[in-house]
Amino acid sequence: MKSLFFTIWRKEMLDAIRDRRSLMAAMSYAFFGPVLMAVAFMAIINDAVSESDVYVNIEGAEHAPAFVDFLNSRRVFAGTEENKARDIDVIIPDDYQAKLARAEMIEIIVRADYSVRSDSSQRNRVESAIREYSSTIAAQRLTLRGVSAEVIRPLVVDKQDTATKESRAALILGTVMVFVLMAIFFSGMNVAIDTSAGERERNSLEFLLAQPIPTHWLVMAKAGAAATFAFVGAVLSILMIPLVFVFVPLEKLGIEFSLSAASQVQMIVTLIPLALLASILQLFVSFRAKSFKEAQTYISLVMFIPVAVIFGIEFSRVEHPLLSVLPVTSQHQVLLNTIGGQAINWLHVGAGALVTLALTALLVWVVTRMLKSEKVIFGL
Amino acid sequence: MITTQGLEKSYKDVKALRGLSFEAKDGEITGLLGPNGAGKTTCLRSIYGLIHADQGTAMVDQIDASQEPLEVRRRIGIFPDKFGLQERLTAREHIAYFAALHGLHGKTGAEAVQKVIDDLGMQDIADRKTAGFSQGQRMKVALGQAIVHQPQNLILDEPSRGLDVMSTRILRELLYRLREQGRCILFSSHVMQEVAALCDRVVIMVAGQVVAEGTPQELCERTGQSSFEEAFVQLIGTEEGIML
Repeated sequence: MKSLFFTIWRKEMLDAIRDRRSLMAAMSYAFFGPVLMAVAFMAIINDAVSESDVYVNIEGAEHAPAFVDFLNSRRVFAGTEENKARDIDVIIPDDYQAKLARAEMIEIIVRADYSVRSDSSQRNRVESAIREYSSTIAAQRLTLRGVSAEVIRPLVVDKQDTATKESRAALILGTVMVFVLMAIFFSGMNVAIDTSAGERERNSLEFLLAQPIPTHWLVMAKAGAAATFAFVGAVLSILMIPLVFVFVPLEKLGIEFSLSAASQVQMIVTLIPLALLASILQLFVSFRAKSFKEAQTYISLVMFIPVAVIFGIEFSRVEHPLLSVLPVTSQHQVLLNTIGGQAINWLHVGAGALVTLALTALLVWVVTRMLKSEKVIFGL
Repeated sequence: MITTQGLEKSYKDVKALRGLSFEAKDGEITGLLGPNGAGKTTCLRSIYGLIHADQGTAMVDQIDASQEPLEVRRRIGIFPDKFGLQERLTAREHIAYFAALHGLHGKTGAEAVQKVIDDLGMQDIADRKTAGFSQGQRMKVALGQAIVHQPQNLILDEPSRGLDVMSTRILRELLYRLREQGRCILFSSHVMQEVAALCDRVVIMVAGQVVAEGTPQELCERTGQSSFEEAFVQLIGTEEGIML
């Protein structure tokens, strides 16, 4: 029976590998996921970290030379020919000096389209520079009147960041793990469809089922071939992570990132049961479809569920004891903990793997039963 | 040897088989002849156990397909109603795959495959991928995959559809050769002339029932008609199935 499994598995692998186009499609997902994230991070980091000069339109600069000097010291400049000003206007009123002398409130107008996201950090820089100058003047006035400047600062925030470098890395790199999990679900998809709905569309299913093969071996071998692809996709994306993140200046965010070979192996092993589950799930769906196209439609609907779960958990950070044993979520936790350098609860990992495998076995049984029904075989 | 005994099968609102009983003996070519929709494909599918009859039994070498489908499938070669090929495999790989599914691996497998390739005269296409094969070439691959394990029984569902003269001849010679080896060949067709020319015995079925059984000669005598064509028309009661 084992030789039957390998005969079918080998044939499905050969078939899938020769299908260059879907092979490339599958693997490019695993490949470009991490690359895409790396590029996105690079952009975010440069934006957040670099204290580049901000150029704005300053109206009425002649009324407040000291204020403008202060802005310049905070690297907020008036726009010039070569450095075009952004659409941010800082307007200084005519009566600036008079009001300043009388210690009245001066309105400095910052006019900009606050819905433009790309300018938000520049707007913040301008506003915080103005606030800083304002409190400097306030402190000087109080001192002149013989009052300590501390009077107007009853509470002071003392920020003490307890985040470790690893946990900060986990916050960012958790997003990358989403891509690893998605690679599992997408890399084997084409193979799963081709080996089930494709087989039916080619009219080769009837002959195959009329061979002396116990149906469950046929199902397992086909799922095994798809799972192999899903697994290779995930491995590829895990191996890609340290390679592409060499180019991302994470240290600027105070993040130290290293992914040892041991933790890579740990992640890879954790993902084996999930690859099996993803593939049998895809077989289950696409054996119900009459054609390749129909199967693709169904599968993309079904694949939406794990993707939604992964994204939901990644961004909401929900915690529940059940999540550490359910498929997808338990593997997600292991990946996160591994990358965050946290201790791994091997009991949970084992339980998660068992639940995933049990669900896989159940689906193998269901698909086997399906393939014994005339309705499914002949698409009646 | 293939026998069916009182096979009955209904789909939602159609009764496809109504107590079908016949026998196909070893060393003979038995033709299952009937107009379109007579239930020929349903009958063949229940012999290899992909369709479960509501009533009755289908036996291959005295083994019931509904009880031991795997044992039955080891003893038969099938040329199904719809035969699709794995287009990314070469003809040789294709046949070798099915040889391996029948337990023919390694050297034994390669020899079995080579024998089939020689028998069917397909040396020139053996190592080409099957995508883009002509209908005749596809038929050869389908026949090759059906007989690579040298089954005692061969079941063919309308094997000659879409074939040109040369391919039909190859098919006919193959069937004669297998008959000489004492194998049991059952094939279905709706083309009367083909059956008359090829078969030792004919089973004529209409609406899921056998209406007549015998050699073409016997059937002519029984109906008092001089030609098999007239006999067939009289037996099935319509002129359907005479068209080529």
